[in-house]
Amino acid sequence: MLALVTASALFLRWLPHHGLSILLLFAVSAGAALAIYLTQRRRYGAKSHGVSREHVDADITAVIWTAFTGIALGVLGIGVVLAG
Amino acid sequence: MTNSQQAPGDAAPPSRGKIAERLLPGGEEPDPRFTLANERTFLAWIRTSLALLAGGIAIEAFTSDLFLEPVRKGLAIVLLLLGMLLSAGAALRWLRVERSMRHKAPLPLPLIVPLLAGAGAVAAAVVLVFVLWR
Repeated sequence: MLALVTASALFLRWLPHHGLSILLLFAVSAGAALAIYLTQRRRYGAKSHGVSREHVDADITAVIWTAFTGIALGVLGIGVVLAG
Repeated sequence: MTNSQQAPGDAAPPSRGKIAERLLPGGEEPDPRFTLANERTFLAWIRTSLALLAGGIAIEAFTSDLFLEPVRKGLAIVLLLLGMLLSAGAALRWLRVERSMRHKAPLPLPLIVPLLAGAGAVAAAVVLVFVLWR
């Protein structure tokens, strides 16, 4: 989550150079960070109960969404660089 | 007793969801510590990927007085592509490791390690050539 917040701040830093299109990258990374923040308490609870029960389900949805966020940021970034 | 060896009368194991059943079929639930360690490794790769993505955007703006525009754009796109590949590769590796652990099979080799090392070496060589040439 903090890495996404840092990345979103870095994207915002280059707003003067890249223009408003960089706001898309900021929105995706900040939105993903916010989603992680809002769900982390529930996920932490599930994982800690899982450790005590010795059964943790692999969180495949979270893995897919996180990877998708990285890919989306890359696609948008290439678009911003080529358009600039 | 494992989940696949339920005694008669035992409660059925909770459903894992359609996506999990499809992408992680069969086998037994591994030790939770291993599942969590696999997730931590995935997140470490994602952090590397985010650094490359942020670096790709920054290098295009940061090095405007150092490199010609085509070189700058090329380097930025290489870094962004590498970040994307690392994101996808991290998810694939997480899946392959999880499958191996469920089936008690040897862990697969990390294919994204040579990818990152090779691309990093190429990017460094390109930068070195242009810094010396300039």
